[in-house]
Amino acid sequence: MPPSRAFGRYITSLALLAVPAARAQEPGETIEVEGERPKGSPRAPGAAGTVIDLAQFGGEVRSVAELLQTAPGVSVHSLGGPGQAATLSLRGASADESLVFLDGILLQGPGGGAVDLASLPATLLDRMVVSRGVLGAQFGAGALGGALELLPRAAPSTWTGGAELSAGSFGTRRAAIDVAMPMGSGSAIVALQGDRTSGNFEFARQITPEIAGAPYYGFARENADATRGSGLARFSQQLGPETAVDLLLQGSVGTRGLPGSAATPTPRSRQSEQSGLAGLRLRGEHGGISWSARASGRVDGIELRGVQPYGDCADGTSACPRLDQRSSSARGEGEVMVPLGISHALKLLLSGGGEWVRGSATGTHRREALAVAASDDLALPLGFSLHPALRLDKVGKDAGISPAMAAQWRPAPEHPLELRAAWGLSFRSPTFSELYLERGGIASNPELQPERAWSIDVGAEWRTHLLTISGNAFWSTYRDLILYQLFPPARVKPFNVGQARIAGIELQLVIPLPARFYGELSYSFLDAVNRRDGHKLPYRAPHRLFTRLAHRGDRVEGYGEMSFTSALPRNAFDTAFVGSAVLLNAGVGVRAVGPVWLDVEVKNLLDDRTLEDIFQYPLPGLSIAVIARARL
Amino acid sequence: MKKLALLALIAACGGKYQAPPPLASIPLPDGSQLKPYNPAEPGQARPQGMAQAAGRVYVTLSNQRDTSTFPVNAGPGFLIAIVPDTGEKTLIDLGGTDGHRCQNPGFVRASADGYLYSPCSGNFSGSDTARAIVEVNPLSNAVTRRAAIPDGRVPNGVAVTTRKIWTGDAYTTTVFSIDRSTFTADAAAPIAVDCPKQVFSYVADVMTIGDDVYALCASDISGALYRLDPDSGAVKAQTTVGPNPTELAGLDDGRIVVVNAGDNTLSLVTPSGATLTSQKVLTFSSQTAALQDVRAFGRTVFTVASGSNTAQRIDLDHFYGVPKVVAEANFGPGAGPYNILPLDDTQAIVTNRGTNTIAAASWVFAQ
Repeated sequence: MPPSRAFGRYITSLALLAVPAARAQEPGETIEVEGERPKGSPRAPGAAGTVIDLAQFGGEVRSVAELLQTAPGVSVHSLGGPGQAATLSLRGASADESLVFLDGILLQGPGGGAVDLASLPATLLDRMVVSRGVLGAQFGAGALGGALELLPRAAPSTWTGGAELSAGSFGTRRAAIDVAMPMGSGSAIVALQGDRTSGNFEFARQITPEIAGAPYYGFARENADATRGSGLARFSQQLGPETAVDLLLQGSVGTRGLPGSAATPTPRSRQSEQSGLAGLRLRGEHGGISWSARASGRVDGIELRGVQPYGDCADGTSACPRLDQRSSSARGEGEVMVPLGISHALKLLLSGGGEWVRGSATGTHRREALAVAASDDLALPLGFSLHPALRLDKVGKDAGISPAMAAQWRPAPEHPLELRAAWGLSFRSPTFSELYLERGGIASNPELQPERAWSIDVGAEWRTHLLTISGNAFWSTYRDLILYQLFPPARVKPFNVGQARIAGIELQLVIPLPARFYGELSYSFLDAVNRRDGHKLPYRAPHRLFTRLAHRGDRVEGYGEMSFTSALPRNAFDTAFVGSAVLLNAGVGVRAVGPVWLDVEVKNLLDDRTLEDIFQYPLPGLSIAVIARARL
Repeated sequence: MKKLALLALIAACGGKYQAPPPLASIPLPDGSQLKPYNPAEPGQARPQGMAQAAGRVYVTLSNQRDTSTFPVNAGPGFLIAIVPDTGEKTLIDLGGTDGHRCQNPGFVRASADGYLYSPCSGNFSGSDTARAIVEVNPLSNAVTRRAAIPDGRVPNGVAVTTRKIWTGDAYTTTVFSIDRSTFTADAAAPIAVDCPKQVFSYVADVMTIGDDVYALCASDISGALYRLDPDSGAVKAQTTVGPNPTELAGLDDGRIVVVNAGDNTLSLVTPSGATLTSQKVLTFSSQTAALQDVRAFGRTVFTVASGSNTAQRIDLDHFYGVPKVVAEANFGPGAGPYNILPLDDTQAIVTNRGTNTIAAASWVFAQ
């Protein structure tokens, strides 16, 4: 029950609620040739894609969110500094429209929606593949902006291991260790990562922003600490000459303060969370036909304490109940790839399972998820190839077809030029949170319908040993977008009211330079428009630029990088903006003894303490980290 | 009325009225002092609307308790009479004998004959008995009359004329009236004051300015200001303002200012004959967030924004008629200022809904 003094005042307030290469060669170690970035996802041939190889970032303290910022077409929406929540946006789509997979298993947040990137441990991963476009046919309903695939470290067949320790500003610490070993007729890898930060950085802001030249005042961030432990285990066993089984286990536990915005700090709000995932896959190949069968399950839980709609509260009091929210899913799927002659490779997939959500704010709900899909990789004369795909998804009461077509052309098999074009159409079912979450100023809407989108894009790539340059242009439309709208008397509620057109350009340049230097540049242009009124969609930066120069030697390594994000609209009427931001980072390292490297890294070299994320959460100024790592 | 007479006298003499400096901050009673229905679960003052009468400032106290969903009424609604320069306080219980006859008051306005009127919105169900228009005599600081609200309506805003009390409906874009003599709701059908919407629309406020009543329709995508006949409510003129307007105020030259929270702008509306014309004259800084209120003293305009915890003083004719924010004040993290009341053309106080205080604006001036 809101105050009578115009719930408009309340809902106005609610509207505010309403975020690679410096590794030296080890003795006897093989290093990938710089500039030869692997191509995109095998699940989406012909789609615009970027591969981020985590080995390129050795000696650097990186979160998954920071790593993703190096790719074109990617935006990360973070809520504050290290350890705080961050979500992914591909090509201007929302976090719910940008799917995240770990080794092929769909990840979801505790409300069945967007994944918090901060909960994903970077050191446990081998590489990340970003695929952009409406890719429901390839990845399933929901991939309206694209998909991020996290590929965990593989288990080699020999004993290897590594460790990394880092310590830096704001009480930030990280420890990571991994061990891989032969096991039976296969191999195993176990990796652990622990992170801790006090998050108590200083920031500066104007308290009278209407006054030109008003001074900036210094503040200290409070209740922004975060602690997280993560683990990954992966086992592979050869069951026969052409049959193998893989087991993946991944888990994470964490707790953090929820500091609130600079204008409305919440020093008593806390969050703890747990997640676990298991996947068992049987795979084989007989007579040229490859097949796999997989069962997987996932559980996520989150508990909020001291959280209220308008500020914080004292945990443990009757007026301040804890919010406990859990979601889980289980799925089984079978896939078979059948070569048809020399020019066809037909893939068929059948998948079924369910997802569940339980919590005081959503109640208990479940729904089934079924899918059947077919795709073909068709090689045509004159260097052409086609990749048609069709998928039927049924998610609860919602069902829909996601067709897609991609085409590629290369003048000759080894020719550096490749042209591509892709089209896709798909839908996204509302998440459990959107359908049922009743919490604070948020209202549910069980009547929500699926969002729908289609996109078309064209691209070209020139790939030689001297450089790789690629460019994409895309155009997409969205309808029945689910947007949280102010809802009297004092809440926000999701409605199918959005109609948007998002177009853009993505460019990437990778240049190996002499003396083991290596340069990289990525640029993204985004034009996101509300088709109802012509205004720009808020929180989408029109321009993003990332450049990096790195050196990797036998004894010395280092990098310097710059990222620029242009000003972006903060409201739906083109009258308020988040300012542009420039970040400079640099690091240098030496091989101290044997396989042991020591690195020093500095982020935000300009010590700009006025940076804020899109929700006006302050970001840290200059930070320094010292990293020691070894790999045997 | 005494203050108005004093102001007129000072103006006639070519002088400039200056109010006694208010205290920097005046704490409001905590929930245990506001007759909580359950002493184990008191609310908080949650101050909002302000009006001047009888040499004091009257402030509505919503008296609400936060929960995990949205605030609930923890006790009866209150007015508190405050002397800004001394901090002297007098509580006025609006809840009646059972404490449930007025909950959640958000506005208070003084009539020309010196009475105070406050609409109580209850629990927003539109069916509870805590919805009312309450009349208070500021000389006795007592409730004198109480008008019930017809079922299905939730009063929002209040405009007092000679014969009527007008209020808006929080759930529809209509206004309706209370007869001042009988103090009962008029049987006449509510008057429509619509504006285009995508998701929601409502009446943000109604106010008496000059001889007319003005009603402000607000929606998620638009806003409209209506001029109504003070007796019949007939629409005399209307104009479009910015999206999601939250408040309006009259200038001494007859013009009207409106703050638009949707696009962070200030609209200036000029009445001329039977028409209203509106233009956006100021776009606030991107850091100014959640504009909640606007008031005027003469031609000096005061605004307040709860999201950025700031208040602004605006000279409408700063540079060849181009308005400018000439001073700004910040009330600290979490303050949540919702309403502002100018005491003269330089001094103002705000109601901090977040920190439950009445605070004086300490201005930082533009060069």
